[in-house]
Amino acid sequence: MGALGTVTTNHFLFLSAALFIIGMVGVLVRRNFLIVFMCVELMMNAVNLSLVAFSRESNTLYGQGFAMFTIAVAAAEAAVGLAIILAMSRRIASVDVDEFSALRD
Amino acid sequence: MTFDALVFYILAAICVAAAAGVVVARNPVHSGLFLVITFFHVAAMFVMLGAEFLAAVQIIVYAGAILVLILFVIMLVDPDNMPELHGARPIQRSLGAILALILLLEVGLAIVNRGFYGPGGNATLGNIALVGGNTQALGYVLFNQYTLPFEAVSLVLLVGVVGAIVLALPERLGEQIRLRKGTISLGHPRGTEEALPTGPAGESPIFTPEDRVETEAVGGTRELILVGDGDQYTTVGGGDRRR
Repeated sequence: MGALGTVTTNHFLFLSAALFIIGMVGVLVRRNFLIVFMCVELMMNAVNLSLVAFSRESNTLYGQGFAMFTIAVAAAEAAVGLAIILAMSRRIASVDVDEFSALRD
Repeated sequence: MTFDALVFYILAAICVAAAAGVVVARNPVHSGLFLVITFFHVAAMFVMLGAEFLAAVQIIVYAGAILVLILFVIMLVDPDNMPELHGARPIQRSLGAILALILLLEVGLAIVNRGFYGPGGNATLGNIALVGGNTQALGYVLFNQYTLPFEAVSLVLLVGVVGAIVLALPERLGEQIRLRKGTISLGHPRGTEEALPTGPAGESPIFTPEDRVETEAVGGTRELILVGDGDQYTTVGGGDRRR
């Protein structure tokens, strides 16, 4: 753990952890499906930050390559997720995650 | 404190604050705008970590594509369908806060006590500069060792786009188009004085030929166009309006 005056990998890891946990709280607390979706994107970004930080620390580029794949898959996931939001808002006239209970009941 | 550290702390503080804004904002559009702030700051972090290409990709894909998509969907969803924030979920909120504190403590301990194992690679800043920069070095890695996964990602994107179109299509598109023939077509539904019958929840009001309402010429001020099919139509009323 480096001194407070210099930026080390741990700094980025702490920031990543903070972003991830904020996103997780959003997923747990919010009821609007759109906000939940944004929080999932936030968590993905936090993980990307961790990957790139480790990549920097270990002097390899694999973490950055992995983050590239994560971003690409996140784009596909965004398209499908938003289409699901549209379909649900059209079918049950709500984007409340508490209303999406057809599989639970 | 070095200049690097100062920049890092400022960026990190704004980043975390904007991320918190995503969660607490009442308006989904505000959440989206907070999210774009977070994305830009994560991109700045990528620059600080020497991943310039990834920073550009981050801005183009996340801030450029995904966020615009989210904003479009926010505008497509009826605001009445959005659930209220702070709608009394006390159990979830307190549980979320407790879980967040525990997890932050746990991850913090893990970060502080972690060790680095393995030989480490040769992609030092000097070596990366030798091959021309971060973009070139990342290109070598992607297209030498990860060519097949790279192509597989293109397939994932294709399937994702097809799935998104299938999901987002109206469920009875063909039926709606069939019913739309032989109905009254107005410039705008609010152009008539009579209230139009509303369809089932979430659907546009569409006349079936059985309960079709033939409105008389309304008042003579607004024009009514009765459409048989694409080729024949008659106009009623609205005589004094310039066309």
